[in-house]
Amino acid sequence: MTLTSPRSTGRGRPVVLLRVVRAAVLAAAAALVAIAPAQEAATAPGAAVELQSRVFDITRKLRCPTCVSESVADSNAAIAIEMRNQVQSQLEDGRSETEILAFFQERYGDWVLLEPPRRGVHLLVWWLPGIALAAGAGGLGLLMVRWTRNARREGTEAPPDDDDLARVRAALGEKEPS
Amino acid sequence: MTRVLIVILVTAMLGGLFLFGLLRGQPDREVESARLNRSVPMFELPVYPRYQPEFGPTLDVAAELSDRPRPMIVNFWASWCGPCYVEAPDLQEAWQRHGERVLFVGVQTQDRGKRAEGQAFVSRFDLGFPNVIDDDSALSIDYGLFGVPETFFVRADGTLMYKHTGPVELELLEEKIEELTAS
Repeated sequence: MTLTSPRSTGRGRPVVLLRVVRAAVLAAAAALVAIAPAQEAATAPGAAVELQSRVFDITRKLRCPTCVSESVADSNAAIAIEMRNQVQSQLEDGRSETEILAFFQERYGDWVLLEPPRRGVHLLVWWLPGIALAAGAGGLGLLMVRWTRNARREGTEAPPDDDDLARVRAALGEKEPS
Repeated sequence: MTRVLIVILVTAMLGGLFLFGLLRGQPDREVESARLNRSVPMFELPVYPRYQPEFGPTLDVAAELSDRPRPMIVNFWASWCGPCYVEAPDLQEAWQRHGERVLFVGVQTQDRGKRAEGQAFVSRFDLGFPNVIDDDSALSIDYGLFGVPETFFVRADGTLMYKHTGPVELELLEEKIEELTAS
């Protein structure tokens, strides 16, 4: 097979083009082969990060048993670390967040939930701020109405009559107008 | 006049709350077990070598109680826990007195991988009752453990009668064993 140099004659151009296309296709295939495992490797850490993120989301809703005002997510106490491991293990087993929270609630009671459940006496925690806010706003509104009414009443008092003026003049020592 | 009274009242209420916060001291950390009067989990865990001639490589509590039903005292401890060293002699004394009618079990927990330290702990106090290893702390979570030491007093029917937080003393052990065996 004789190959024509691209520079020697114009007839060699299609052959060169063919070579370039072939080389490009080969390079693309090689790149795909090289990228595929890398992509696979990139997916695994992604899944691990997502799992850790879910563990964090759940454990920050759980109270650390041995700490003061700290969640399981924030604490490095031995029990908190084991609880985080337990949450991760249950997530890997396919359990939902609700199921996992219920698991800890059954063992530790409602106490373990940093967000109190919306039932029974716990409802007070959810309702009281709203009730207090409404009562405060209502009280303030009533006060404002009363103050406005008083101001209006003061502004609409009857003008002084002649007797009033006479008393004022007498007090000031002025003479009666003739 | 009314406004002055309201201001005085509100100030007094806020002052009262402030004083209450200052004077009430530390909040009570004692939390009642969610398992109270409910069944406690049975378990099978590896025991330290000194107990293996009697129980084998693992202690199966359910089988042990099934063979001879009786109340049970489960004490959770860790090798790094100071108060656990304080209570251990009292537990050993109570076991020597009542081990025939109450099953005593020690559980090393929240102490991952510390077998040598655990072995040293049971040897130091020459603990005669079986001590098991809860390496991943799964049992302590199942019992709703808050910290170590904690001691669970379980009736013969498997329900929890009482949980003690902190080092347990011989006097309390005697009192609770009396209650357990009387019922």
